[in-house]
Amino acid sequence: MNTQTMKENINLTNMKEKSIAEIHAEHKQTIGEPFCDNVKFSTRNVDVFYADNQAIYDVSLDIGKNEVIALIGPSGCGKSTFLRCLNRMNDTIDICKVTGDLELDGTNIYSKNQDPVLLRARVGMVFQKPNPFPKSIYDNVAYGPRIHGLTKNKAELDELVEDSLRKAGLFEEVKDRLNSPGTGLSGGQQQRLCIARTIAVQPEVILMDEPASALDPIATAKIEELISDLSKNYTIVIVTHSMQQAARVSQRTAYFHLGKLIEVGETNQIFTHPRHELTERYITGRFG
Amino acid sequence: MSITAIIFVLLLLAAYSYFIKRQKVYALYRTQSIKKSKIKQTLPKYFGYVAALWSLVPALLVLIVIQIIDEPLVKSSLADYIQSEKIVIGDAADDFDLYMNEIKNMSIDELESADPEKIKVFNQYQKFQSISNYAMTIIVLAMAILMTAFGMKKVKINTPARVIFEKFIEIILLLAASIAVLTTVGIVLSVLFESIRFFGEIPFTDFMFGLEWSPQTAIRSDQVGSSSAFGAVPLFVGTMLISLVALFIAVPLGLMSAIFLSEYASSRFRSIAKPVLEILAGIPTVVYGFFAALTVAPFIRDLGESLGMSVASESALAAGLVMGIMIIPFVSSLSDDVLSAVPTAMREGSLGLGATQSETIVKVLIPAALPGIVGGVLLAASRAIGETMIVVMAAGLAANLTVNPLQAVTTVTVQIVTLLTGDQEFDSAKTLAAFALGLMLFVTTLILNVIALHVVRKYREEYE
Repeated sequence: MNTQTMKENINLTNMKEKSIAEIHAEHKQTIGEPFCDNVKFSTRNVDVFYADNQAIYDVSLDIGKNEVIALIGPSGCGKSTFLRCLNRMNDTIDICKVTGDLELDGTNIYSKNQDPVLLRARVGMVFQKPNPFPKSIYDNVAYGPRIHGLTKNKAELDELVEDSLRKAGLFEEVKDRLNSPGTGLSGGQQQRLCIARTIAVQPEVILMDEPASALDPIATAKIEELISDLSKNYTIVIVTHSMQQAARVSQRTAYFHLGKLIEVGETNQIFTHPRHELTERYITGRFG
Repeated sequence: MSITAIIFVLLLLAAYSYFIKRQKVYALYRTQSIKKSKIKQTLPKYFGYVAALWSLVPALLVLIVIQIIDEPLVKSSLADYIQSEKIVIGDAADDFDLYMNEIKNMSIDELESADPEKIKVFNQYQKFQSISNYAMTIIVLAMAILMTAFGMKKVKINTPARVIFEKFIEIILLLAASIAVLTTVGIVLSVLFESIRFFGEIPFTDFMFGLEWSPQTAIRSDQVGSSSAFGAVPLFVGTMLISLVALFIAVPLGLMSAIFLSEYASSRFRSIAKPVLEILAGIPTVVYGFFAALTVAPFIRDLGESLGMSVASESALAAGLVMGIMIIPFVSSLSDDVLSAVPTAMREGSLGLGATQSETIVKVLIPAALPGIVGGVLLAASRAIGETMIVVMAAGLAANLTVNPLQAVTTVTVQIVTLLTGDQEFDSAKTLAAFALGLMLFVTTLILNVIALHVVRKYREEYE
């Protein structure tokens, strides 16, 4: 085949394919299985606005108990915004407005009676960049339990701190220097410290916003391993840019595109047989 | 030629060297094939700069040196002349200086009335002056022209012009920095020498530990004010008392308003409220003094009387309260800035664990912002210690040794002012005491600074 015909072929395919913007504009209904049994979190018709800009359009999604669900999609698609709705972290942004029904165990988390502080104790969060407090490793983990009065005495607190650090797979590395500052740890250790800090509050759901994006491959592998361990006891919602990571750690995957929830399904199915054209294009790496 | 004219000529020369050199290098670049080979070249202007420096700097240095040695030279030649003409002006060196001043300040119309001897000296003085001026002009200009020519030859295409110019910039910056440092050293030394003179008359221990302050020096022994006492303790206690009252007001109010502005207020409210708060620091202290003396002090006195307490009409409390209001912006503005500078990640980390906003502020934000907050408090404290006007107007001049804020006290700075204003001879213990007080004040603030620095280093929680 000479180059001339190759060019023509490409032109032809381009003409056949609709542009991404067109497909996105036509998209109305999430395809796949956004709803599930044994629901922990249920969200219906969620819209999010930053001042006049709409960031999320009519998203409805269930999150099951003890499942790991991955939110994927290109940058700016609203997956982090959606995640931050789940523990009302968006409340800290003045111009942000959330509408729709978001229920945790059947109670509306945006109702007037809901104390966002209590909600955040039940729905913990791990951030993109490790953000340990400028305190000792011990104080970092003990921060939450102290605030919520989870332990009666020092011995119980010690135990809880050790237990949380163990669950985060960090205890063996730091047991001799619990009193040295948490900011002195390596990036991966810091992130595991942040996870330990979150576990120490004994939440029911853990939200993770690209928890491994600032880490090297080895640290990433440790975090992923940790997520698999944690999924036995916690419901985990993870936002990730890495499709391999989503494939490795999650049972279900939701694909977001420019504020719309395009497709939800079993992780295996999403990655092997995506049903929506946008999902397919994203997964095969044609954009994003 | 006047110095201004000389400097102007030097600048012209420098400009000349700059343009000529730059032009030459341009021309060289154009003719050489290097230009085409795309090798990066030093920009021609740098060669110009270096050439200009050659014509400017050595001549300027010579000018400065001549300026320094010029005056003593003229003076000594004039002294020689006076001796050779056998004019009698008295023996002491002081007399000669006095005489010199007279000569210098003589003007043309005075000449007719002055005595002929003086006129002779004056004429001679003017002659010396013009000789030295000619010499200076010739030497400096010759130097400049010589160096311009030298620079033209010396600056070649392979001169590291950029490096030399960079070094020059560095030296200029170093000079700027050292002027600030040297000024500080100079102030300290001048205060120190006068203080040493004071301690020659009044023993150091009397000054440091004396409990009575009544700074009078009698000219005759039978005068009323002959019993003087220079014990600085009442002054320092007074200063500390007023400053503590002020900080007691300013630190909580300032810190709380900073927290509100940085954490709770909407950005619109903050953009209005912060400048308004900072206006407080811009109000002249005299105005605060009115406020303290006419409004606050009577109010406190009346309030105290209605509660059955005896309150002096000039009280430490009144001065301290008003001073506290004045220094609020020092605490609030700086604290607000450092609180806002704590990364959002810290806030979200804490909120994400289910901490309330106030828990987040107390446990995460304030520890992280502590160095800046302490810095603000320290600034406020040194401002309070050094404040004079409000105290003069509201707290009075009576050097009582008391820690009761309802009584009149006085401060170190107020006493310095009262010691140095008015007509007095400069070498009496009374005036010299002002320098000793100044020195002590300086040492006190220095110690405060060191302590605060230490505290900050120990307790700060460093975020990345």
